[in-house]
Amino acid sequence: MADVVRVVAADDPVRPLFSPAGELTADARGTLGLSPDELRDLYHKMVWIRRTDQEALNLQRQGELGLWGPYQGQEAIHVGTVAALRPTDWIFPSYREFGMGMCRGIDPAEMLTLFRGLSHGPWDPRRYHFAPLVIPVASQVPHAVGMAMGSRFKHGDDVVLSTFGDGATSKGDWHEAMNFAGVFRAPVVFLCQNNRWAISVPLAKQTAGSIAERAQGYGFPGIRIDGNDVLAVLAAVRAAAARARQGDGPYLIEAMTYRMGPHTTSDDPTRYRSETDLERWNVKDPIPRYREWLQGQGLIDEASLAAINREVETAVEATRNRLKSAPVPAAGEAIFGRVYQHPPDSFLEERQEFESSLESN
Amino acid sequence: MADQTFRLPDLGEGLTEAQLVAWRVQEGAHVDVNAPLCDVETAKAVVVIPSPWAGTVQKLHARPGDSVAVGAPLVTIAAQGAPASAEPAAEAAPSTLVGYGPGGPEAGIRRRARVAPSAAVEPSTDVRAAPFVRQMAKEKGVDLAQVTGSGPGGRITKADVDSAAAPAAAASAPSTDGERRISVVGIRKAIARQMVRSVSTIPQFTEFAIFDATNLMAAREQRKASGRPMTPLPYFIAGVVKAVRAYPLMNSSWDESRDEIIVKQPINVGVAVNTSQGLLVPVLRGADKLELEAIAEQSAHLVDGARAGTLPPGQMSGGTITVTNVGASGPVETGTPIINPPECCVVAFGAIKPRPMVVNGQVLARSGAWISISVDHRIVDGALATEFLTALVAELESIRA
Ligand SMILES: Cc1ncc(C[n+]2csc(CCOP(=O)(O)OP(=O)(O)O)c2C)c(N)n1
Repeated sequence: MADVVRVVAADDPVRPLFSPAGELTADARGTLGLSPDELRDLYHKMVWIRRTDQEALNLQRQGELGLWGPYQGQEAIHVGTVAALRPTDWIFPSYREFGMGMCRGIDPAEMLTLFRGLSHGPWDPRRYHFAPLVIPVASQVPHAVGMAMGSRFKHGDDVVLSTFGDGATSKGDWHEAMNFAGVFRAPVVFLCQNNRWAISVPLAKQTAGSIAERAQGYGFPGIRIDGNDVLAVLAAVRAAAARARQGDGPYLIEAMTYRMGPHTTSDDPTRYRSETDLERWNVKDPIPRYREWLQGQGLIDEASLAAINREVETAVEATRNRLKSAPVPAAGEAIFGRVYQHPPDSFLEERQEFESSLESN
Repeated sequence: MADQTFRLPDLGEGLTEAQLVAWRVQEGAHVDVNAPLCDVETAKAVVVIPSPWAGTVQKLHARPGDSVAVGAPLVTIAAQGAPASAEPAAEAAPSTLVGYGPGGPEAGIRRRARVAPSAAVEPSTDVRAAPFVRQMAKEKGVDLAQVTGSGPGGRITKADVDSAAAPAAAASAPSTDGERRISVVGIRKAIARQMVRSVSTIPQFTEFAIFDATNLMAAREQRKASGRPMTPLPYFIAGVVKAVRAYPLMNSSWDESRDEIIVKQPINVGVAVNTSQGLLVPVLRGADKLELEAIAEQSAHLVDGARAGTLPPGQMSGGTITVTNVGASGPVETGTPIINPPECCVVAFGAIKPRPMVVNGQVLARSGAWISISVDHRIVDGALATEFLTALVAELESIRA
């Protein structure tokens, strides 16, 4: 029995890159092979997605969005993950991976129409290899495994990444997906964003053990890493994806981070957590941390930081304006339009009834 | 420039109102897009509303403490870059989300859906109700045109139809015998929550002492004579800060989740202030870095700001110990203050007045006042509390002019 564990440990390309505490080693950091431009771009993207997150929060407070789920604090994971994958690798997100979608090239204004009640997520998932955001917790995890199995059956070398929160790991779907992936060696990377909260449920009430180590029970390796270090995330996802691509099966990364904002705009975190927790994590904020590293390496100066900020401000303002002028679809089409390719009669009748109720209204 | 009126949006999925906590701008002020306008408290959270436009604030439509309905005007702004328009301000309101605001301007899907080719609908039939509600009304013989909707956007709900069908039953509110019901919102609710949290989670005990205020009063007299009068409060705060420095555990928090005591570094003194809205506790930050003069100046500013309702919420949080001057406004000798969580200690000062005291074996009339401290017994035992109180008394008694 002990053999299983040893086999899993032997075949792990990620672990050698990290210290036992989950920090990317200096050696591994030095051999990432990213150009100065690429390194700066990671910073630029983190600033851009954070500023867009703040803008979405503002827009919600101004009545322009119905709801918003901020991802402040988790930017290193969003940016590092997308940078580590090929554009053709699929990503199956939860509801909080707006920043990943942006990094995949989806127009944030277009994505925001979902939160404005104008669409169910208007981008073409096949074009961006980015599945729709999903609300039911953990439902995306089995979907990802299914997609990964499909890639294997087609003898393609695309891998699939599924990302989810710490809360999602308590769901049955999660277990089913992990088990299935392990048994069939699906080319899938499981990325847990352990932000320590599932709405108001703290990590300690979510799971009594380690999430990363559960992978062993499913027959593949797992590791807990510093999720607030963009290069650590990039290195781990890249190595895990390469392993999956060459047919060695799934990998579980537990990226430790912190949800710095509320769960959504309907939530008041001051009712269940203390400011001291937040202060502890402020120190580990991924953006200033990476900026200081870049400065320490002489890779970025004040002028380029200012230029990045200006560019981001312009981009965000444009997003705001595009969102506010987004066309409003007819209600019937918005609700019934994309449910069936060949709608049955009863469904069409319902749609007609709904539309005539609007007219007589 | 055109006046645009910003109406309170539904800030949290299905809310109908919010209470205005504080304005962060004044009429006549210039604001940028996303500049904080005000703090409102909904049934779910206290949130800051950022300005949707850049321009000049023309009118604030509500006062702190007011309850504002979703869709009701909150602020009118002469927006920069907005085309000057002959339309009245209300008409220039921007599109907000569907279903927002009973009585507010309708925008978005519904309006557009109705501006369909077959728009030959009489205005009187402009009734808003879901299909099943219409069905129900038909069955019960209720004319929807006569019903006032209580749902979002004035929509008629099932309950509206029910009560229209049985008006007599709906009128039977419970008999009240002259009692009055006050809905608990805003600051009252925040105080209630904070106090329940204190007494239900903190095992606290209180100790009392009297201090001789002769020196303190002499120092005040001297300042008054030289034209620089000072109230007792700054002396109290300075004394507490010095005693806390000697006993840092009084400046701490209990962290239940980690079984740890967090000893705080800066000493941020909360000052309990009675205001027309209820008890507020603005916080004097870094009081350990301040001289008496600065304490006096800044605490006066905080007290005035709290009374005027102009302090941002940021200045009312982050305290590490609280001072309350219970003798300031009446003949109150002392009390048993309740700790302001997550702090460890609250210090109450009673009225300073002449009282008989024994000095060198003789009974003399001296100025004196009670001090009481309530402390978190998880952190501090009686012995330490006594040492702290002793140090505080010594500090106050040794004040020099
Ligand atoms: C199946 C299901 N159950 C419950 C919910 C309500 N819900 C929404 S988010 C959430 C917490 C999820 O926490 P976690 O997986 O840690 O992700 P995070 O929100 O922290 O990113 C819950 C319980 C839901 N959306 N779906």
